[in-house]
Amino acid sequence: SSNEHKLNFKKSKEACLSYIQDALLQQQWKRAAEFLTCYIESLEKDYSREHIGPSEMIWRIGTEILWHHSQSSMKEFNCFMEQMKTLGVKRYLKVCLEHVFHLLCNGQIDEAYQNLSLAESWRFGEQTAIQDKEMKLIQAYRGLLDYCSWSKQKNKLFEHGEGGFSDSAVEREMHGYFRKAAVNLKEIIKVPGVWDIFVKCYVDLLEFYGDHNEACQVLNEYAYNSRFPANPNAHVYLYQFLKRQGESKKSLISALKILHDIVPSHELMIDFNTMLQKSKKRKKRRLGLEVIFAALDYAGWKENAKAWSCLARQVKQIVISEKHLEWIKQEWNSRKDWWPAFHFSRYLAKRNWQEDKSLSYEKALVAGILLGKDGKYFKYVSHQGCKAQLKRFRLLKKFVNRHNPVYLRISG
Amino acid sequence: RSPQVRSAFVPRRGAPGEVWEAADAAAVPVLLPTEGCWNPSPSREDILYRSSPCRKLRVGKSGATLDFARQLGHFFVDHPEDAFGSMGRLLHKNFHLGDSKLKVTVSRSSTIRMTALMEDINRLEARRGCPRRHLASRLRWFSNLCRDWLFEVPLGLLADCLHEELMQQWSNLLFDDSFTGGALAWLPSEDRTPVGRLVYPGGQAMNCLYFQDVVLEELPHAQGSPEQFELNGRIRQVSSARVNGQDFVGVRSDYHCGVWKVPGKTGAVPTPLQVVRTDMPASCLTVSPHLPGELSVCTQSGTVYLWSVETGLQQLRHDPQTMFFRDYSPWRWSDFTAHPRVLSYADRTGLQCLDARAPKRCHFDLFKVGEEAGCQQGERVVLPMYLGRAHPSQYLVTTQFSVYVLDERLPLVPVLNWAHMMKAPPLFAHLMPGKRGRSHKVLLGASCTQELLLLQYWDGFGVVSSGGSQSACQLAGTPQKLHNISGCLQYLPPQLPHRHHLLQQRLTAPAAGLTATVQEDGPHNSMLIFQLSEAGDVFCQRLNHKTAQPPASPLRDEATTAPGSSPLFEAPASSPQGLGTAALQYRHWLRALSRACREPPRHTWRPSLSQRRLFTQRDLEGPAGLSSLQRQVRQQLCQTMQEGGRIQRWEPLALQPPPLPQTLEPAGGPDPLSARLTAAWAGDWEQWWEERTSFSMAQRQRALRERRRRQKRAQGHRSLSASFTSSVTYQSELSELSDVGTSLLSPSRPPILSQEGSPPAGSHPVCSLPVSPTPDEALLSSQSLCCRGIPKERRKTLRDYLSVWTEGPPEPSEPLGSQASQLCIPSSQSQLSSASQPCRKRPRMGF
Repeated sequence: SSNEHKLNFKKSKEACLSYIQDALLQQQWKRAAEFLTCYIESLEKDYSREHIGPSEMIWRIGTEILWHHSQSSMKEFNCFMEQMKTLGVKRYLKVCLEHVFHLLCNGQIDEAYQNLSLAESWRFGEQTAIQDKEMKLIQAYRGLLDYCSWSKQKNKLFEHGEGGFSDSAVEREMHGYFRKAAVNLKEIIKVPGVWDIFVKCYVDLLEFYGDHNEACQVLNEYAYNSRFPANPNAHVYLYQFLKRQGESKKSLISALKILHDIVPSHELMIDFNTMLQKSKKRKKRRLGLEVIFAALDYAGWKENAKAWSCLARQVKQIVISEKHLEWIKQEWNSRKDWWPAFHFSRYLAKRNWQEDKSLSYEKALVAGILLGKDGKYFKYVSHQGCKAQLKRFRLLKKFVNRHNPVYLRISG
Repeated sequence: RSPQVRSAFVPRRGAPGEVWEAADAAAVPVLLPTEGCWNPSPSREDILYRSSPCRKLRVGKSGATLDFARQLGHFFVDHPEDAFGSMGRLLHKNFHLGDSKLKVTVSRSSTIRMTALMEDINRLEARRGCPRRHLASRLRWFSNLCRDWLFEVPLGLLADCLHEELMQQWSNLLFDDSFTGGALAWLPSEDRTPVGRLVYPGGQAMNCLYFQDVVLEELPHAQGSPEQFELNGRIRQVSSARVNGQDFVGVRSDYHCGVWKVPGKTGAVPTPLQVVRTDMPASCLTVSPHLPGELSVCTQSGTVYLWSVETGLQQLRHDPQTMFFRDYSPWRWSDFTAHPRVLSYADRTGLQCLDARAPKRCHFDLFKVGEEAGCQQGERVVLPMYLGRAHPSQYLVTTQFSVYVLDERLPLVPVLNWAHMMKAPPLFAHLMPGKRGRSHKVLLGASCTQELLLLQYWDGFGVVSSGGSQSACQLAGTPQKLHNISGCLQYLPPQLPHRHHLLQQRLTAPAAGLTATVQEDGPHNSMLIFQLSEAGDVFCQRLNHKTAQPPASPLRDEATTAPGSSPLFEAPASSPQGLGTAALQYRHWLRALSRACREPPRHTWRPSLSQRRLFTQRDLEGPAGLSSLQRQVRQQLCQTMQEGGRIQRWEPLALQPPPLPQTLEPAGGPDPLSARLTAAWAGDWEQWWEERTSFSMAQRQRALRERRRRQKRAQGHRSLSASFTSSVTYQSELSELSDVGTSLLSPSRPPILSQEGSPPAGSHPVCSLPVSPTPDEALLSSQSLCCRGIPKERRKTLRDYLSVWTEGPPEPSEPLGSQASQLCIPSSQSQLSSASQPCRKRPRMGF
């Protein structure tokens, strides 16, 4: 019966697919390709209602095989892609994009550009939301390529410019690229998403032509629009832009403050902390302490000597001035149950001493103040330091011993 | 600045990865199987089909026991107080215990004398193993009367529970997530010696925790005996983390979680630290990589705890509902993140991060199954894992379709997404961070299909921009399939079918854990991957790192070992030593397995039969004319039965020794071999045997007389081929013979009498060949051979044999004094020709 036939067909299809998969995972591209030619038959009677139908399978697997097959050539790949484009109308744009990526990775930028232009002029029935988005992406990538050409022209122009004469034809061409790129890039940025590269290019273009207001607006929109996913990069770009523009400390700090709220472990937190430490306002210095403590909470910062030296410097300052000891106390309160094991164990003292003396110096200073002179970490490091007759460490020991009462006040 | 960064387009995948090649053709066992046979978990057939053919297929005791009646029986025996307590007290008066006869009282009619019942039961017990047992009527009567009310487990409730259990078993068969995370851990040594410690569950119920020192040489092997801890339940998960030079090992069973501390030095003794008990089954236990003695526990009720050995349990969240949309699964998972106080919390719909300092307020979504992450319909989280050792803020999330890498600084948008194409969802994952600018490796393992996949990826210094140079997180190389445990089956030496079945069952047991270690030995890097199966076997495979990219030769492409060849057992020239050890390891393992899983004697008690009923008095007396041998045999039988022994072989002395063939065969007669072969092909070999060994002189003489009579009728010499044609006379002779044969059968059968296996006497097929008058050539055609019931595989032999016979002149006619061996070759040339004649006759019209 036809039902049975369908069932058998389905079974053999699945078996074939599993053979392909097996070959792929063992990097037997030739074998996989042979099976794939058999699998193409499954297109004939495609009864499947699965999420990924056979035609998509063939596209994906075929791309993978051609990418790795020792005897495949770019020509074959292009040919395969053209066939895949006609295989499924709904997937046309996706296949186009994939094809373009492949061309780009092989350095065939012009072909990629042509393909993008072709895809852009493609129309099929009513545009669905997904198609709309894919079309935007295609346009954006074309814009990106335009930007690349623009940047190339710009470099050329600068080289010539150094020679002393300007080439108006090159300049005109460059402006043409700018217009094309700007139009397309602007479009994609309006759609919520993570568009780091497009934003960067667009801002670069705008900055070159002096449209700082627009650039600022774009970056602000990208960073603060709540419809966009929370993206720390957006804030980083904004901060870098502001810094380039020579904006005031205040606006820089407010940009970094938000970054701190989103990602307390961001690398820029060291810059942020130094900036805040230098500030004359108490509140800012207080924030600086908070920032550096929060950064050092993270496992990735455990052995960051720079961060430890920031903390050590600030803690030392506070201890010497004997003002705002309560800041340290507050920060320490929520950490005293786990920082000793996390940062100041004897094992870490040993290892830090072996691997990075300056790190262990900074850490020992902090440990000595936070945990007193009898803390394991400080004890071990200062002992080793004195044994090695390092002056720094002797001074450190003296300093901690002198300020030992601080420890009692902090922990009390 | 920016233009340089973008001047090169780099693909997300397909970046060159490291080349790792398997050193052996299959995974090799690391540990010898432990004593005691493994009980496989129920299969679909166990639950679905109860028909006998299916059960017969399952060999012996290796199947799971789902015999409900037996299990209930065990319950009655093990917990009599629960089952019969109050009813017993109520009925106390109605049972009379004691040997004395009941006095005639009022209660007589309503009292049972239990002694008699017990006697019956004991008798029943004694007769167990007897195939002809039947219940004593008194017992049947008693059980008919009481079985509905005597025990106090309410039948409705019992049925509900049974149904629930079956549902549970069934859903476990479809997808069992209780092993998520895997129950195998590797603790490397602190001081870079090639010794490490393997932590794995074992024992028949997988309830023993073992810490075994393993030396990593060409093949890893155990050193010394393992530290062993017996636990209270089946071990579902073993997770470990190294903090401050000490390993912390968390062990999860359904209702208990425990933590052990193992100092990093080799040979240090693991010490148990703490155990917690949960009301609901725990579904997750992970050990903190940041702080010593901290773990996170999830239960199926949707509760997450931060468990610190020092301060105890801290509940972070309790929510029986799933997070982002409704999903029925009670599975929950939790792991640590870059911040030691922030834990991730996962259910099937996604991941959240909770701050342990303020879990109600501070949390954010890390991953959501849905459009944003590019998920498919029906996609669910299977296993999340913190990738902290590779990159402090990255996270791995596997679903049944894909693998995602997430960065907690840029939540909800995966930085890497790859469809893994595994047949079963990956329940196990293991990370091997790549140091000094090398790619990170992630191993994925599935449970029921035992799949193993090796992925490599670059973290790209994270995706979050730091202002400096950056690259994206990308897959490196192509994912690679590794050997699984069952893959070695094809290389093992051939086994007896039932042994093969047992072995197959053992080797295809679902995987239960996965771990790996990278061994750096100067320029040679190798990776050792351990896989644990539910049967408690740990197999290992070594991958060697190829430093130089080999030229993409098509040879490498297709260089696969052909199934069936056994490179494990042949030592190729490339590395004779290593493969030799692999083969040796296998041999040890197989031997230990057969020792451990030897079929236990089916009945520990002796089968006993009551001989009173077996032979009636009349039977025993028998006919008057009993032969001395029959008497002898009977005597032996009686004696053995009294002794309670059993007869494996009849004592040959008791029988008259069968006359030697030489004495039976006169010189020059057709050789005994041809006669025997003929008889065997015709299917009445037994009869032939009877003839040869017949002890009764009278019978032999009768046979001789028969022969003479036949030989008078049949003239001319005979050939073997003629025996395959048949004629009416032949038929009649055969039937005569078979009559004789059956009467002879019982006393002189080849002497094997054991309890099982001997077919009932007298069931020998009586050969009746179809009458087919075919000439010699036609006789040899396969069709004709076929219709004579000669099996296909014998036809060739037969043809060869016959061709030899037709070449040489047949034997001259046999002397009259030939013995009984010739009985089956009665035809003659003349019969053959007469038989072939009718073939040429024109068929009569109308018929």
